[in-house]
Amino acid sequence: MHTYKPLFFWTVLFALSLLNSVFSQGFQVNFQGQKQQGMGCAGSAFMQDASTLFYNPGGACFASKSQVNVASTPIFANVLYVDSATQEVFRTKNPVGTPFSLYSLIKPKKFHRLAYGISITTPFGSTVQYEDAWIGRFAITRLAMKVFHVQPTVSFKITDNIGIGAGFVWSPGEVALEKDLPVQFNDGTFGHAKITGKAMGFGYNLGMYYNPGGILTAGLSYRSGINMSITSGSVAFNVPEGLVANFPNGALTSSLPLPAVTTLGFNVKVHKNLNAVLDINYVGWKTYDTLSFDYATNTTSLLDTKSARRYKSIFAFRAGLQYVAISDDSGQKLIARIGGGFGFSPVQSGYVTPETPDANRWYGTAGISYILSQHFSLDASVYATRIQRADTNFETGLSGTFTTIAFAPGLGINYKW
Amino acid sequence: MVNLMRQISFFYLLMLLIACKPKAPENAYNSGEADFSQFMAIGDGHTAGYMDDALYRTGQENSFGTLLQRQLSLVGAQEASIPWMDNGNIGVNWNGQSRLFLGYKTDCQNNTSLSPLRISPQGDVNSFSTSAYNPNAKFSNFGVPGLRVIDLVSTGFGNPNLPSHNPFFARISKDQFNFPGSGAFSTYQDNIFDGGFPSFCSIYLGIEDVLPYAKSGATTNPMSPLAGFPGVGFEESLGQLCEQLYAQNVKAVIATIPNVTEWPFFNTIPYNGLKLDEDKAASLNQIYNPLGFSFVVGDNPFMIADPNAGMFGVRPAVPGEKILLSAPLDSVKCHQMGSIFPFRNEFVLTLDELNEIQTRIDQFNAIIRQKAITYGFALVETQNLYSKLPFGFAFNGVTLSAKFVSGGVFSLDGIHLNPRGNALLANEFLKSMNQAFKSNIPLINALNYNAVLFP
Repeated sequence: MHTYKPLFFWTVLFALSLLNSVFSQGFQVNFQGQKQQGMGCAGSAFMQDASTLFYNPGGACFASKSQVNVASTPIFANVLYVDSATQEVFRTKNPVGTPFSLYSLIKPKKFHRLAYGISITTPFGSTVQYEDAWIGRFAITRLAMKVFHVQPTVSFKITDNIGIGAGFVWSPGEVALEKDLPVQFNDGTFGHAKITGKAMGFGYNLGMYYNPGGILTAGLSYRSGINMSITSGSVAFNVPEGLVANFPNGALTSSLPLPAVTTLGFNVKVHKNLNAVLDINYVGWKTYDTLSFDYATNTTSLLDTKSARRYKSIFAFRAGLQYVAISDDSGQKLIARIGGGFGFSPVQSGYVTPETPDANRWYGTAGISYILSQHFSLDASVYATRIQRADTNFETGLSGTFTTIAFAPGLGINYKW
Repeated sequence: MVNLMRQISFFYLLMLLIACKPKAPENAYNSGEADFSQFMAIGDGHTAGYMDDALYRTGQENSFGTLLQRQLSLVGAQEASIPWMDNGNIGVNWNGQSRLFLGYKTDCQNNTSLSPLRISPQGDVNSFSTSAYNPNAKFSNFGVPGLRVIDLVSTGFGNPNLPSHNPFFARISKDQFNFPGSGAFSTYQDNIFDGGFPSFCSIYLGIEDVLPYAKSGATTNPMSPLAGFPGVGFEESLGQLCEQLYAQNVKAVIATIPNVTEWPFFNTIPYNGLKLDEDKAASLNQIYNPLGFSFVVGDNPFMIADPNAGMFGVRPAVPGEKILLSAPLDSVKCHQMGSIFPFRNEFVLTLDELNEIQTRIDQFNAIIRQKAITYGFALVETQNLYSKLPFGFAFNGVTLSAKFVSGGVFSLDGIHLNPRGNALLANEFLKSMNQAFKSNIPLINALNYNAVLFP
């Protein structure tokens, strides 16, 4: 067998993966580090690579070398909706999406207490497209939301055991939302509306990392909430000629809050080859109370909308194990990981929407790392979950059961110097 | 390295194969304790598919009766047999007119706007002189526009020699337009039970026993009396039908009569829709101040004729009173109808008249409920659907309401449901049948059915 086949495969997969994404608690996407993903997405107190810039900026100054990490995690998510009244079944299309992360951490030789770096991650996002003519088409047909976090970060050891770090987050994003309108052309086809907009927000990421040098390390980090404001969105309607005056194309404004995430993490070295990690997240989803669209031009048919979301803040618990399976004189060669977690859903009963068919979830993960050389190493991980939520939405009246199966295999490459 | 890539790729592919889609549940449709194999829909224009003020092919295809039977075919109902109208979809109403569609109309003030218009100068009157009867294929849908409970056993109902006959029934009757004097005419009931009884019936009757009176502004077409022999009184007429079905062990679902005066025909023109500027208010004040009525700039109640209102039989409408959609709007806009010339009685339902109609509906419904209990029929409370419409309700992301044209439920006549409304109504029947007969019949995806189409 030749190497080009897998390479070709990865290329195709990567191309596919640019199409879209769906996932995680609310529209949080918890795939920012392959090593953490192998351990149930925990590990904020177990600094192993530059992904600590995201998970805990306070840990970066404990890195021994400068490094670059690149990773991507295609998500294969399939949503099934069973309508309770008609018992009809509908599915989502195009189930592949891709969070990615890119980290660069510089460890100056002369100032060993200092580290700095930059990260580009996609910690929030959602893309979901339902099959044509699905029963909820007047609520939504397609949502594509992408948020990038660009975070320059500085980390400093204030004592030999304690590191702190801070990053500034620049958060550009874009959103496209489409749905059918309940107005019909003479041939019976429905009108359609598409909202698009670019969004922007700013935030910060703070962390403290405690490494007393024994069997325990601990970390505390806080990623601020970010208000993504859409100041120059636009809406385009396709409606029958007789209704064009009622549905004027034009500008709109909106905003979407991204929640603050507080994480308390622990790492215990159970054995010289075995680590156990635990992260407790508190996600401030309560800020996502209302989704409103303010149209520049209003008519009797086109009023500004305010949709109640009423998210609640939630806890999530993540845990995992890491085992060094093979090592030789040059160091560790093969590392295996396993983990899992549980997260409460921020979405309350009566507010489940097809764009985020969220539920309390259990999930499992596994991963490996292979150290190729002093400089190069590879990480791989896999995440799987199945969630189910039955609800009747207060606003739309949609009543049914969403079942989602998601599977996310990730791959990362690291280079150290 | 190569080896590793290969292993990872293999692992990846394997997981892709495993990463399956959620499995859809197996359907568990069943007919429960009912047998739908010989289904029959008994009813009026709603059951027949009368909409947009005419009976026409597309309306028939989307009638409440047709949609109900289509859904029942998932649990054993036979294929529908329907007295089809012509494919051309011109349609015909009582007055020989064609169906309505939504088009552009320029009014007397030269404003062009969307308005219901007749699709053709003349309706498909040929269908009244062409028999749709087929001795080899008994109809499963016996919906007849205008059918009253008291018409069920009337021999004059299908007799084209009588001016009072029902042409929609004559075209489907087994008499096939008897030559004059060639014998007695069969009744509606003779026809539906001809050649055997159905295994299951839907009965949606009674609207026509009150509606024509309401549509006439309570001037003509008196409501059916409660008491009297079959063919005269509501109770005994309905009772004998139920009795026959019961005797033959036919299971059935029967529905109450909705509050018809909540429909768009009675609620589109507001009682206080008389908009006046300073000049008009002043000139009306000049006319009416001596009678004790005054007008202001802005919204005013329309003036209506009421024989009981003082010496001149004229007064302003009061909140709750209905101006009917039959009122000529051009006369209102350009010829002072509703102001200098009060609305005639035929265009108005006063509070007393509304009360009289509602009382009769309530009495009929008490009878219907009692029959359902007596004969073990499933009962549909149609107000469960209709009462939500005046204020609107959210349905799968769409707000449905009784609003004329844009509400998404009523057809352009403001009385009969459009296909989507018929699907919603059929769902009310299905819900009550599922409960009464322990069946599992899925409801209809109503938003897949058309509402008003726009140019």
